[in-house]
Amino acid sequence: MFPKMKEQDKIDILKDILFEDGHKFEERISERVELLEKTIQEREKLSEKVDPIIAYQLEEFKKSMPDTLGPTITETLRKEIENNKDIVVDALYPILGKMIKKYVAQEMKLLTDKMNSQLSFFSLGKRKLKSFFSGKKEEELMLNDLASAKIEQVMLIEKDSGVLKASYAKSKAMDEEMVSGMLTAIKSFVEDAFNQRNQNLELIEYELYHIHLQSFATHYMAVVLSGNFVTSAKNKLQDIIFDFYNSFMAMNVDLVFETKNAKKSIQPTGKRRIEREMAKYFGHAKL
Amino acid sequence: MQSSKKIIVLGHFGVGKTSLIRRFVSDTFSDNYKVTIGVHITKKVVEIKAGDSMSLILWDLEGTDDINAVRQSYLLGTHGAVFVFDVSRPSTFQNIQKDLKIVSERISQVPLMVVGNKCDLVDLQELKQVLTENHIEADFITSAKTGTDVNLLFMKLATLLSHNA
Repeated sequence: MFPKMKEQDKIDILKDILFEDGHKFEERISERVELLEKTIQEREKLSEKVDPIIAYQLEEFKKSMPDTLGPTITETLRKEIENNKDIVVDALYPILGKMIKKYVAQEMKLLTDKMNSQLSFFSLGKRKLKSFFSGKKEEELMLNDLASAKIEQVMLIEKDSGVLKASYAKSKAMDEEMVSGMLTAIKSFVEDAFNQRNQNLELIEYELYHIHLQSFATHYMAVVLSGNFVTSAKNKLQDIIFDFYNSFMAMNVDLVFETKNAKKSIQPTGKRRIEREMAKYFGHAKL
Repeated sequence: MQSSKKIIVLGHFGVGKTSLIRRFVSDTFSDNYKVTIGVHITKKVVEIKAGDSMSLILWDLEGTDDINAVRQSYLLGTHGAVFVFDVSRPSTFQNIQKDLKIVSERISQVPLMVVGNKCDLVDLQELKQVLTENHIEADFITSAKTGTDVNLLFMKLATLLSHNA
């Protein structure tokens, strides 16, 4: 027989039996919470030390990347491009397409401008008359006008030194002194190479431009033209060049013949005066 | 007032003609050696004195071991010339007297500057000795790499040309 238990003892024993699992569970949770707190605190401490190191390493990597990985990346890209030419072309096509489109649009604009000027009342009347007297169709005459050669730039160059004497241009887009030097070098090279000092280089074609070269004894003239430079245009241009050159020589004739006997020194014709003459001859020339 | 003058720069292969011009015109230098084929033309406008400038058209002729091989057409109408040799390479100045004689005959009566380039590669005391032994009187000892005396050379030539004009 068990000694007679008090009521309170009985309740405590019953509680122990009923809540034993609950105690264990409570202890486990408390352990986990402690572990979590510890981990969080340690990470904060760790990151304080580790973060600057990682940042420094990243910065160093960024700096050294072009040297260390650059050649490898370039080589890989080169190989990829070589192996997948079609894909590359496909990728570039839209970009090139845009460029071509832009170029065509610009050319169309130029053509439209030209056509507008051709369709003006004055031009129409003139063309009708020309068509009536020449027997050519108006459309044909208009197309001829549209494609005709235009003088863009004129340079008078000293033949031996390549020094630019004077120039005329509607809009200056290049260093004429360097170009005249280079044209002289090309001209000299070709004439030397063919071993024909009495023959001259007469025409250079550059994309949409023609450079007509007309040689004289001490100078030569380079005329940059756009449009259709046909034989008839060449003939007209040569006439204009000869007329101008005669005028230029007339300006200098005193210098050539009278310098020795002149009482006062005769100055060579100034650049500005030659350029005024050039503008007069070439500015409104129709080829 | 501005006048234009043609200046030719000539000498043996790889003596630094192009580099000298590049240093003078654009104040740059490159170790990357590219052979000049034919001729390369550049321009620089310099001020001789206030209100008096000169446009120097510099003809950089391709290097050749035989100065006689330089095309005569490139020399025509020259106002001034620069003959360049490499102070670190004796083969470029061993026959300099002969070379200079040929140049003077082919372009007579124009100022000619004799220039020893690449002075940054040699000891200057030793160089003086070598030049004396070889009877070479260089007008300028330059370095296109460091820029030593490059501007001075072309300015001196421009001044001479302005006096001759």
